[in-house]
Amino acid sequence: MSHTAQALKAVNPVAEARPMQWPDAEFEAVFLEHYSRIVGVLLRLLGERTRAEELANDVFWKLYRTPSVGEVDGRVGGWLYRTATNLGIDALRARARRRKYEDAAARTQEGTAAASPLDDMVRAEQRRRVREVLAVIRPGQAQVLILRASGFSYKQLADVLELKPGGIGTLLSRAQAEFRKIYMELHGKEEEL
Amino acid sequence: MNCPSDGTLQARLDGELEAGEMEELNQHVASCSRCRNRLEMMQAQAERVQGALATLDPSGQTTDAPRALARFRTKMDEELEPKRTWFGKLFAPRLRPAWGVLALVCAVAVLLSVAPARTFAERILAMLRVKKITVVSVYPTSTETRTDQRTAKMLSQLISDNVVVTMDAGKPQPQPSAAAASKLAGFDVRTIGELGTPQKILVNGEAAFQMTLNRDRMQAILQEAGRSDIQLPSSIDGAMVAVHIPRTVLSAYGNCPERMAHHGPPPQEQPGGEANQPDAADNCVFMVQAPSPTVSVPPNLNISQVAEAALELAGMSPSEAHSFCQTVDWSSTLVVPVPGNVSSYQTVNVDGVTGTLISLRSDRNRYSLLWVKNGIIYSLNGHGDPNQALNLAASLTD
Repeated sequence: MSHTAQALKAVNPVAEARPMQWPDAEFEAVFLEHYSRIVGVLLRLLGERTRAEELANDVFWKLYRTPSVGEVDGRVGGWLYRTATNLGIDALRARARRRKYEDAAARTQEGTAAASPLDDMVRAEQRRRVREVLAVIRPGQAQVLILRASGFSYKQLADVLELKPGGIGTLLSRAQAEFRKIYMELHGKEEEL
Repeated sequence: MNCPSDGTLQARLDGELEAGEMEELNQHVASCSRCRNRLEMMQAQAERVQGALATLDPSGQTTDAPRALARFRTKMDEELEPKRTWFGKLFAPRLRPAWGVLALVCAVAVLLSVAPARTFAERILAMLRVKKITVVSVYPTSTETRTDQRTAKMLSQLISDNVVVTMDAGKPQPQPSAAAASKLAGFDVRTIGELGTPQKILVNGEAAFQMTLNRDRMQAILQEAGRSDIQLPSSIDGAMVAVHIPRTVLSAYGNCPERMAHHGPPPQEQPGGEANQPDAADNCVFMVQAPSPTVSVPPNLNISQVAEAALELAGMSPSEAHSFCQTVDWSSTLVVPVPGNVSSYQTVNVDGVTGTLISLRSDRNRYSLLWVKNGIIYSLNGHGDPNQALNLAASLTD
């Protein structure tokens, strides 16, 4: 038998060489369960819906390409929010380097129900400052703050951050102290914080 | 109880302590002024920071997850579709039936060669049959421009709107053996002796379609492709090109993708060996055996003239296209353009006749060996050393 034929025999049957894939129904269930909340977290971070949805899609694209994530029960949720916040904070930091763009995006994307245009401007400035601080503090601290602000319990935070629940209080406490310190350094307004 | 850590105090503020822990902590704080002060300071800090973060609350904005999932699925399907080479795109499934492309070329030839005053009633269809394959290098200026995409989309739409399938090939039929495939296909199906029994043999059904020319739309496509200098006579509107494709056979060896079985590359669409091919694994070898399709076109068709335009569209210079077209008998030759910047080809002796061995430097060193013998078009495809194709072809059963 030729080398070619031997090589062909060696890798058969076809099924053995095929990569594992997400079953469609399972993937869709995960998508529907987590997509909205992931967009919500990213929207807090970035303030721009289009960008938040783009990144959320990137998260699910990564998940689809990493079917091993689904092999462990309960691991998917943590993985999703960890990946989403990592991507979101990276994007926030990148955007902080393009300040002009951020200003424009924040004002155009987050028109709120404020009482007047002046209030709108004030709130937009507040949000810009908060995001500026989140882009400066350590990513792990930004991550825990934004997730906690998004309503995550200590147990959920522990799943996402792969920590024991007992360590979350300490992490949050330090993150809040760091946030405040940096905010004061950057903006110096005690009354705002 | 000892003085609690900041973490425990934070958990107390966040309501994350168990009831027992909470009670114990409260008792301690009530009796420890230092901890009471710490707790108050931390509470003030937490309120300020959480208040600041609350300004980011996007409440009031809703997200439609099912709709997002539908969009995601669409995008994912597009991403997962195998990336096609320029050459592959020429025969992409969306251009199905891909011989429609040939029909289109013929149709353009008609447009260019037929005098406007001639009446269609006087025309008698001429028959074209492939007896020979000639490969020619072209140098497309771009592989992925928006213009290319628009042109391809317009072509695809034109074909789907103007092609009438008169005989549907249906789904490819798996066959247990070459003998069974021969019986169904109506010609002797050969196998590659060196590779043993094929893992898969598919017979594609007989197919036929007709295409009616639409002058305005073809003109628009030429314009989109940057050839608005070619003006098509309005009187040719409605002329018809008919294509008949006999049953064809695909045999696959080695670790070929499973979807080959589901979607089955229709060999009749790819005598050049490129159409709708599977994203083959490196040791996947597959062979297409296809009796020549026949293409019926109006007479007095100066295919050479139109082929020049088609080759120019594909990236050949006008003078090169002109000289090349003078050497081809268009009534019996299937011309396969290959992108010269990523591929090379050589004339070889194969199966007792002259064939062409094409090597693509992209697509994991893919090769295609093409030849025509006794009215059957053969295409042998794999990855790696192109000379392997000749060794495999030498072991073909008779």
